[in-house]
Amino acid sequence: MKDHIHRMIRVDQAGEFGATRIYAGQLAVMGDRGPHSGEIAAMARQEDEHHDAFNRLVAERGVRPTALHPFWSVAGYALGAATALIGPKAAMACTAAVETEIDLHYSKQLDELKDADEDPELQGMIEQFREEEREHHDAAIAAGAEETPGYPLLSAAIRLGCRAAIRLSERV
Amino acid sequence: MIDNAADLTLDELRLALAPAVADSAIFDGWTETALLAAAEMEGVDPALARLAFKGGAMAMVTAWIESIDAAMARDLPQEVLASRKIREKIRDLVLYRLDAVAGQEEAMRRALSIGSMPQNVVASMRGAWRSADLMWRLAGDTATDYNHYTKRTILASLYSATLLVWLDDESDNKAETRAFLDRRIENVMQFEKTKAQLLGGAGGSERERFSPVRLLGRLRYPAR
Repeated sequence: MKDHIHRMIRVDQAGEFGATRIYAGQLAVMGDRGPHSGEIAAMARQEDEHHDAFNRLVAERGVRPTALHPFWSVAGYALGAATALIGPKAAMACTAAVETEIDLHYSKQLDELKDADEDPELQGMIEQFREEEREHHDAAIAAGAEETPGYPLLSAAIRLGCRAAIRLSERV
Repeated sequence: MIDNAADLTLDELRLALAPAVADSAIFDGWTETALLAAAEMEGVDPALARLAFKGGAMAMVTAWIESIDAAMARDLPQEVLASRKIREKIRDLVLYRLDAVAGQEEAMRRALSIGSMPQNVVASMRGAWRSADLMWRLAGDTATDYNHYTKRTILASLYSATLLVWLDDESDNKAETRAFLDRRIENVMQFEKTKAQLLGGAGGSERERFSPVRLLGRLRYPAR
């Protein structure tokens, strides 16, 4: 088996799962009463589709899923809920930070796959999902993510967390 | 008789030779004597057999288990099992493994004692995990969360408990083992049912429980 491909699928499935949990946390707090609830719900639906697609790949290819799944469930939900409680702009700052890291991560994977010219199916998925994640990022910036107080600190902390999560999910 | 022994890779040779080694191990234990007897029986160059199993007894045991895994995957692929209920899939897979080693109780007993030596424990657990993993995949499992791990843990322990009963089962056609296996599977199904009830599962129960996050959300974002 190609270990590095399995690692990619494992971390991507974990990441998309984490994303669905972040949006679930935000929506649990905001319901349909926040200024951008509709947009967030639409992003959440897209993350669900990404997550389903990677679930399918995990099952088809016999990839071992991350053992940290229960932890990402709680951590993602808590991150979403906490940022939504700070305020609608903080919630968007969270989205922008997370999507920035996902964009970088997907781009790195895509470069690796393209260099080695392997797994066109996975390449196609990553390319499409990356575009959609970028749209989420731009929508979050447009909704005033950068105007939240303490934006640089909040953003840096979340991005650091994402990078650690990516490292861990590749291996564990 | 293995016809093309010289053309096989060492990995292939190990798998091909393993069942014969197990047959010899009934009398000689998992020793070099058993290995050489098996090699002679199957027409394999003894030097080649020694090379393939230079890991010693544990390598022979591991290869035997892997040969059973391979046979199981060949005879009970997903398509064959697809129409059966989940408990039947698991029962059929476990019974297939036991049938595959029928008459080799003594070899299995010795294999288990080799596998439980301190230096072999890690390899044994890895092997048990691989077998349980394969069984769930053949059963069509698609869990992508923690259930992936709990399912394999439960199946590995269910299988080893059944194996211990099977070792000493003198009843006709291993009837006692079959009954024991059915009861264990029943236990697991009961447990899963209770778990599903506790965790809420289907339909709207998320709304019925108190959620501090939702309450805080109501305060932070009042109805407009």
